[in-house]
Amino acid sequence: MVMPPSTGRQEAEAIAINVPADRYDRVVRLAQAIFGAPIAALNLIGNDSQFTVASVGFPKGQMPVEDSVCRVTVQEDEILEVRDLREDQRFSSIPSVTGPPRVRFYAGIPVRGQSGQNIGALCILDLVPRTLGRQQREMLADLGALLERELAVQEEMDLAGQVQQLMLPTSAPDIDGVEIAGRVQPAREAGGDYFDWFVVNDPGGAGKRLQVALGDVMGKGLAASLIASEVRAVLRGHSRYTDVGDAITRTSMTTRHDLEANNRFSTLWVGRLDPETGELDYVDAGHGLAIIASDRGYRRLDQDYLPLGMPIEDNWTRATDLLEKDELLVVVSDGVFDVLNDSFEEVEARLNDILDPGLSCRQIVDRIVDFAVSNAATDDVTALVVRRV
Amino acid sequence: MSFEEVDQGTHVVLAPEGKFNLVAAPPFKARIDDLVAAGKSRLVVDLHAIDFIDSSGLGALIGGLKSARQQGGDLRIAAAGPQVKAVLKLTNLDRILSPYESVEEALHDW
Repeated sequence: MVMPPSTGRQEAEAIAINVPADRYDRVVRLAQAIFGAPIAALNLIGNDSQFTVASVGFPKGQMPVEDSVCRVTVQEDEILEVRDLREDQRFSSIPSVTGPPRVRFYAGIPVRGQSGQNIGALCILDLVPRTLGRQQREMLADLGALLERELAVQEEMDLAGQVQQLMLPTSAPDIDGVEIAGRVQPAREAGGDYFDWFVVNDPGGAGKRLQVALGDVMGKGLAASLIASEVRAVLRGHSRYTDVGDAITRTSMTTRHDLEANNRFSTLWVGRLDPETGELDYVDAGHGLAIIASDRGYRRLDQDYLPLGMPIEDNWTRATDLLEKDELLVVVSDGVFDVLNDSFEEVEARLNDILDPGLSCRQIVDRIVDFAVSNAATDDVTALVVRRV
Repeated sequence: MSFEEVDQGTHVVLAPEGKFNLVAAPPFKARIDDLVAAGKSRLVVDLHAIDFIDSSGLGALIGGLKSARQQGGDLRIAAAGPQVKAVLKLTNLDRILSPYESVEEALHDW
């Protein structure tokens, strides 16, 4: 059976693909226990498939939508209850009725998505015919509403994460002579880490420069991501008109109220590179995790300045280094450093993994982030790599 | 995270244990705020039993420091382990939250 595509079914598919394991199991277990039924499930109805995303007594996974009972429930506004599926011609020939587990009784409450359309159903199934009393029907409706709420929260979080991802630079900067890549892997849907790059005109009139930034707002999740977005935007604004030290000082002044009101601070590392000469101005606001590395070793680009949002205003001033053509500029967040036991000896020991000149910046960034994630990083993980070409 | 608390009259010593992270930080900060509100604004945080701190833990300490100072007191940290010291140094927060070697040393002028 082919159902016409709809907003609700598109939404169901998107959720089904991204659904975190076990996310909705609790409500389904609750339904199973309350109704004393052998099977309870949350089924999402996509274009061609039913996705069982949470279940008890029935495997999670996909089945053709025409074999589903919930496909009918999603077209209703209220509970669909069938005392004996064998007696209903819409369902009497579907495999789970004619073959194992030979279900007889079905009750399902449609669950609405953000689009306002039904995307699936919470259902309970029994192997013997039965009926629900009035209170039981109310209970099922309540559980459905609870799941709707859970789904809405998850969707909001996913959307916030997407917004944050879309704020990251995706295309190569419009400047010759550099290769650059960056990646953020938030611990949750959204997070306090971010990186950025953009081209600015040198305030002294010396031409175009590539500015890169990596920031880490204390905490995780949506709240940290809101502050990270602000710091990013304010730094972008100030950076157009002045050098990196002054840009950070102004960013601190502009964001001070919001950081203090929320009891948050942000570490920040900002560099400004002249790809032609390799001259690199930078400011380290309590971040400490930027290095220049090559097969000759590494040096840290760190300073003694405080992060933004501290009780005292600092005097962030740029320092200068030179990025040679055979060197890499690598900036990471503490999510990476934690996995290395917060130790520069361990950083040094791992450097050879990223110094192969055959690796692109993208591959190096992936190596760093994948390494941190596979070593059970609990924090947001970010890496930014730049080299002159 | 559980933490011990000893009120010495002139000051209060708090001793958190385990991981000082996003889970542990909010209740710890809330307790400090309660103490400060109750007029106990000289605080020592004994960190000897903390084996890991992240930015949320640092945030709780800095937040506690701010509230304590606003009430004319101070928050001092003592007996930090290597990971805590490394993170404080990395972020330069040791400039405003200088680690004392022991609780006794942190109390030197109280």
